[in-house]
Amino acid sequence: MSTPTVTSRPEWINVRILRQDGPGQPSYWQRFRVRYEPEMNVISVLQKIAADPRTAEGKPVAPVAWECNCLEEVCGACTMVINGRVRQSCSALIDRLLEENPHEIELQPMSKFPVVRDLVVDRQRLFRALERVKAWIPVDGYYDMGPGPRQSQAAQEAAYPLSKCMSCGCCLEACPQYSRIELVRWEGETDEQFERRKLAAYDRAFLGAHAISQAILFNSHPTGKNNAAERLEALIGPGGIQLCGNAQNCVAVCPKEIPLTRSIGLAGRQTTIYALKKFFDK
Amino acid sequence: MAQQRVMVVGGGLAGLSAAMKLAELGIDVDLMSLTPVKRSHSVCAQGGINSVNDQTRQEGDSEWKHFDDTVYGGDFLQHQPPVKEMAYWGPRIIDLMDRLGVPFNRTAEGFLDRRRFGGTLYKRTAFAGATTGQQLLYALDEQVRRWKGAGKVRMFEYWDFLGPILDEDGVCCGCVGQDLVTMEIRAFPADAVVLATGGCGLIFGRSTMSMSCTGSAVSRAFQLGARYANGEFIQVHPTAIPGADKLRLMSESARGEGGRVWVPRKPQDPRDPREIPEEERYYFLEERYPKYGNLVPRDIATREIFNICVNEGLSVEKDRMCVYLDLTHIPRKELDRKLGGILEIYEKFQGVDPRTTPMKIFPAVHYSMGGLWVDYERTADGGLKIGSPRNHVTNIPGLYAIGECDYQYHGANRLGANSLLSCIFSGLIVAPGIKNWLAAQKKAASERPASLFDQAVRRQQERHDELLRRAPGGENPYLIHQELGDVMTRSATVVRHNAQLREAIQKVQELYERAKRCSLSDTGNWTNQNVVFTKALLDMFPIALTILEGALARDECRGAHYKPEFAMPELKATDPVERRREAEQWCDRFEENTRRWLKTTIAQWIDNRVVLSYEDVDTSLIPPRPRLYGLVGAEVIEQVWRERQARRGQPAGDGKPAEERRPSQQVVRS
Amino acid sequence: MDEKPSFWVRHEFLLRRLHSLTGLVPVGAYMVIHLLTNASIWNGPASFQAAVYQIHSLGRLLPVIEWTFIFIPILFHGLYGLVIISESQPNSGTYPYVSNIRYTLQRATGLIAFLFIGWHVFHMHGWIHSEAWRQLIDPWGGQFAPFNAASTATAAMQQSMWVSVVYVVGVAACVYHLANGIWTMGITWGLWTSPAAQRRADWVALAVGVVVFALGISAWSGFALRVDADDPQAMEAMRAVEQRMLERRLHEGLVTEEEARHKTAHRSGPRAESPEAVTSPGQAQEP
Repeated sequence: MSTPTVTSRPEWINVRILRQDGPGQPSYWQRFRVRYEPEMNVISVLQKIAADPRTAEGKPVAPVAWECNCLEEVCGACTMVINGRVRQSCSALIDRLLEENPHEIELQPMSKFPVVRDLVVDRQRLFRALERVKAWIPVDGYYDMGPGPRQSQAAQEAAYPLSKCMSCGCCLEACPQYSRIELVRWEGETDEQFERRKLAAYDRAFLGAHAISQAILFNSHPTGKNNAAERLEALIGPGGIQLCGNAQNCVAVCPKEIPLTRSIGLAGRQTTIYALKKFFDK
Repeated sequence: MAQQRVMVVGGGLAGLSAAMKLAELGIDVDLMSLTPVKRSHSVCAQGGINSVNDQTRQEGDSEWKHFDDTVYGGDFLQHQPPVKEMAYWGPRIIDLMDRLGVPFNRTAEGFLDRRRFGGTLYKRTAFAGATTGQQLLYALDEQVRRWKGAGKVRMFEYWDFLGPILDEDGVCCGCVGQDLVTMEIRAFPADAVVLATGGCGLIFGRSTMSMSCTGSAVSRAFQLGARYANGEFIQVHPTAIPGADKLRLMSESARGEGGRVWVPRKPQDPRDPREIPEEERYYFLEERYPKYGNLVPRDIATREIFNICVNEGLSVEKDRMCVYLDLTHIPRKELDRKLGGILEIYEKFQGVDPRTTPMKIFPAVHYSMGGLWVDYERTADGGLKIGSPRNHVTNIPGLYAIGECDYQYHGANRLGANSLLSCIFSGLIVAPGIKNWLAAQKKAASERPASLFDQAVRRQQERHDELLRRAPGGENPYLIHQELGDVMTRSATVVRHNAQLREAIQKVQELYERAKRCSLSDTGNWTNQNVVFTKALLDMFPIALTILEGALARDECRGAHYKPEFAMPELKATDPVERRREAEQWCDRFEENTRRWLKTTIAQWIDNRVVLSYEDVDTSLIPPRPRLYGLVGAEVIEQVWRERQARRGQPAGDGKPAEERRPSQQVVRS
Repeated sequence: MDEKPSFWVRHEFLLRRLHSLTGLVPVGAYMVIHLLTNASIWNGPASFQAAVYQIHSLGRLLPVIEWTFIFIPILFHGLYGLVIISESQPNSGTYPYVSNIRYTLQRATGLIAFLFIGWHVFHMHGWIHSEAWRQLIDPWGGQFAPFNAASTATAAMQQSMWVSVVYVVGVAACVYHLANGIWTMGITWGLWTSPAAQRRADWVALAVGVVVFALGISAWSGFALRVDADDPQAMEAMRAVEQRMLERRLHEGLVTEEEARHKTAHRSGPRAESPEAVTSPGQAQEP
């Protein structure tokens, strides 16, 4: 492999960003120009725009809002749609993006979540899904009770990849079965009422690959198994595993390469057995 | 009395373990965090978490030795009781995390696998792949989510902590927070507030820390009277990948597996590194430390790399300081097998294959040993009194600090894989103390007069509105942040000189004045990241000045704080008698230095400036001894030291005699 | 204020699993048998006609069986499938991965299959067994007469080149939908879970697809290519066979006059393209 040290790189990078001032507001495109530097990523481009927020025409505008934290692809914050494909902006290198499209880099917020502002979206539904599938180990408490159950290397090697899910939302953005839910507040509705209505809507909509995979992760843990039935109930409830359409985009876009489709297959198997047992044994 | 509540600020390992434990103790918890807690900086920890275990125990290891390694690694600057308690809780914490479902790597038989980390002889470190911090955090996040579902914990994610609320007696009775989406500012009455807001790496511009590690929450408490301790102790990791946005960690294992560090002898040689012949390469670590080569201890590697770039001008690049870390001489297959994961990180973020092209690396700010000063209550046998409301309380009653934002466990330098332990430990032990603190209160915070809270909100609202109202054309907060980072990195990281520090203090004060004149590019009141950043920037300065002032005042070398002017000399004489005399002198000087400087730096923010004072360190369990790693003449000095200690009837300090006095069975708490 | 979820939401899992199941059994299985029966034309009109008589020997039970095992499952699978399609947001343009293209194709072929089967039932059977309706839809629908199975099917298939095109496309869509559906069904029910197993299952699905498509092509060509509908002699020979077989069954009392009247061709010709063609010579005798 050769890494050319001298290649003709543009002096400027054109960036086109789909902006939106707030929920329910119209979205609009804005162009920016950022001076090219080697080894840039989308985060550093956005940082430069934040430091000097002017459009390509030189018009001062409000800086672009976006989310990020760890910048090393473990926190899951900086997901956005870059050149049409969902990914983490920290690991989206400008040189690579320019290979995809030398003229322009295009940034959009994820389309499956309500936009808060610009590239910031509200992923509450994603975390709510983890609550729905009871993605935790039901321990008695946090006093010293000795070690946990002994587990084989193979079990650890199966669990670890699933446990690397950073709730970034890529799998949901790419999923053709996951559609956006954005409720508008009613006249006179209180915070609590609106929140309750929103959660009710989230709770009957598709869980998504990440939550299905977490359910499988905890169902395979020796202690987690104890409440497997509760998780399977969630998986066969409204918005459960049945809504998966097997497009398998989730696994293709997952930045952590989590075997999501395997989890989905296992969820299919576990729910089949569970539903049959429930039907015949109850 | 109305229902009491506790506010935990920060959702990393410390904050989550505190929230989880408080909820278990029946206490209602509010948890405020800048990000969804699952995205906290703890996810970045790669290596592992230390504890004594059945295997190391049979090799002679003990909790006491873990304790000893920790204080020795920290150059004895920690109060020893909390550290001792932490070492004894280590195995229990790992058991707990194991029960919570953390996918720790396993042995073939199914036990937890362990690896060896720096600063110890034992394989104490449990790990989960290369993302131990992430895995631990997720386990705690899951438990807190469970408590949230049960109604015991309320989450306030995307909220910024604007400061504690103190009553007329100076007792903390809540805090002010700001919703980062709606920009709403509101008060949260709380009967105790726990700060678990992590480190302050952003003060150094780019570091290995996450974007939320601004230190602003701590600074806001500091500016209202909380004391800040040992600020000058900042750990710098020798090998990080310089990025335009962040410095990403490159694990020490790259050198462990044979990686060679070099620079071209010709400054900024423009040739492709692979075309530079051997004789024109300067393998400076190998040449200067023939015995250890590239595997010199972390602090030495850090200093040498820094030195070669800053003082000798041999950085690989002109505009950016870096040296080569070269693995290209190792067969690709071997690299993939041993270092696959970390090489992929380099490839992913640099877009260059480190198997064929030497990596470019440079030291980076990594951890803040210092933090908010916190108290503890000691038991007769030198441990912590569990359940004492004094544990982890700052000097402001009712305001607690845990995790990286307290100063208690790592002294002058942190041992690898001890940070995860200290975060979880402090979170777990703060809870029973807070329970007792709440029980001692006569009135719930929510029953306090509304004016107390309204006033605090009003003050913050005024600050916020004033910023938004500013006319355009003022200073740019992002550029000032860059400048601050440059000054801090240059003067207060690896090598410190008093002249430089003095200059830096002046420069930072100027920057602070300029920062106060910042104007915003976003004057709206909806998800305004501009104003949030500007506030955080302004609050970086008190901590930055604390770091600089602390470093300037401390005329010695201790742990991560290195001042060449005050370095302990190497032994030069070759004649044994003369050498012995030099060693005696060396030990005299060491003892004098210990008397003078083995003290906690305490900073207070009074009238908008840093005021320093010092506090004695409780070293009653393990007497301080010299750290001699890599020093010329170490053997003689050590011998002299042993003899001296023996004369005084004190242990030479390797922990063993102390252990005999206190067999481990007695110390294990039930 | 939180209204109870609707029936469709509450029983989503059961409905989706039923949808998945009905796709294979009975709908998929029926399709295979149907194509197999039709492909028997290559054995000669007598063979095919015998198979049709076999089916019609169920007599009055036939509608019950047809509705229970064919029409209702197909209608359920099809209509619920429309709901599923309406809820999906295909994005194979943005994410052109093989499995995603297959996902989009599954929905596209489902839609084609739904329309095709609807039209096919109209084209052959005319949907409703009413004389007045039959008159109305002629020559576009109701082309098939069970007791003149081979000849009417041949004529219907060669009505126009477009009929053949529609049949080939429709059958291909059905076959893809079935084969890929078997693959997704294996995941849905948890038969193949690992990516490796799913790749192996690809071969199973492919094999099913190839075999069933071959069957479909045999069936189609059996009517479209085997005999030229414009060849009066060949057509007459087919009708003669059919007539013989009918007469024997009438004689044996296996078929009533009434039934025969309903199930034989009302009119027949080389092609039913024009009104003239309807009255062309060689019309089957009215019983």
